[in-house]
Amino acid sequence: MKARKVKGLDPDGAFAESLRRIVAMRAGELRELAPAALEPGASAAQHDLRIAAKRLRYVLELAEPALGRPAARGAKRAKRLQELLGELHDCDELAPLVADRRERLLAADAEHLRRAAGDADDLDPALVRAAPSRDAYRGLDTLAAYIAGRRALLHERFVRYWDGLEHEAFVDTLLAGLRPPLPQLSEAERAPAAPPDGGAA
Amino acid sequence: MAKAEPIPGIAADARFGDVAAAAVQTRTREVFAHSAGVLDLDDPERVHAMRVATRRLRSALEVFATCFPRKPHRRLLREVKALADALGQRRDPDVAVERLHALADAFNPADRPGVAGLAAELAATREQANHELAAALEEVERRELERRLLDLAAEARR
Repeated sequence: MKARKVKGLDPDGAFAESLRRIVAMRAGELRELAPAALEPGASAAQHDLRIAAKRLRYVLELAEPALGRPAARGAKRAKRLQELLGELHDCDELAPLVADRRERLLAADAEHLRRAAGDADDLDPALVRAAPSRDAYRGLDTLAAYIAGRRALLHERFVRYWDGLEHEAFVDTLLAGLRPPLPQLSEAERAPAAPPDGGAA
Repeated sequence: MAKAEPIPGIAADARFGDVAAAAVQTRTREVFAHSAGVLDLDDPERVHAMRVATRRLRSALEVFATCFPRKPHRRLLREVKALADALGQRRDPDVAVERLHALADAFNPADRPGVAGLAAELAATREQANHELAAALEEVERRELERRLLDLAAEARR
């Protein structure tokens, strides 16, 4: 997923102002992508959200020395989200490798058995005892079950984590925390204003 | 893995372009500081550290894109991405193999051959990925990527 271009960035402007714009864009992307990623099987949407979380995290880490605590707090949450989605992604990467190896071993064993049968009318079931990969399938099936179970559990954790972020209004709180402080009033400006006519009310 | 180096001169009111220059310089130096021994298959931490540093550099190039001349920036970002991809191809099997070994230890003995076989297959891909990483590093050297990145960084200073 390509990051959206942030408009209005000025190389001659203040670092904090540009960073605020970038953070606002990246945080907005995160919020937009999340609903689709909450579906359990939506691995592409989860992948996009992970990339969005990573982008937000790196911008916030960069912003931390200038924008302080809210940036640090936001970076920590974005990192946690990225890590959770990263674990999900690892499951999505490993599962096809397991399935692919299992398929290849099965095909190779079938080929071996066919050759072992020679000119027989039917395949002797006892021949499977010597199939080269007979010990491997069980481990691969167990691994596939483990990965599927772990993925489901991690997805539930991700949904709970995102719900928690929504509950604490993560994006709004982050953006509010990064707003520039209001200018300090001078003593004269803080003094109660005199009535327009100068007299007592 | 090493923590990111602090970027000198970062302050809320610092000029955006000056921070861009400092960020790209710092992150570039970090990448190349981690390049020694990165092809050593016995030390997976080296490739991990360089990969993380490359990610940080890529992020800095993206965040500060507007501060750099467009064409060279785009070209350099593409080259950094190619390096990051080669590092990723080399690093990913390390992570998977490590995880598979840990799982095999936890599974029943009867399940272990299947898991170990997959781990061995993935470990074998590291050799090929290492050759590809070696070629990518040679290309980086040939194209003087470090110097060109530092030159690009300097363009963002007023």
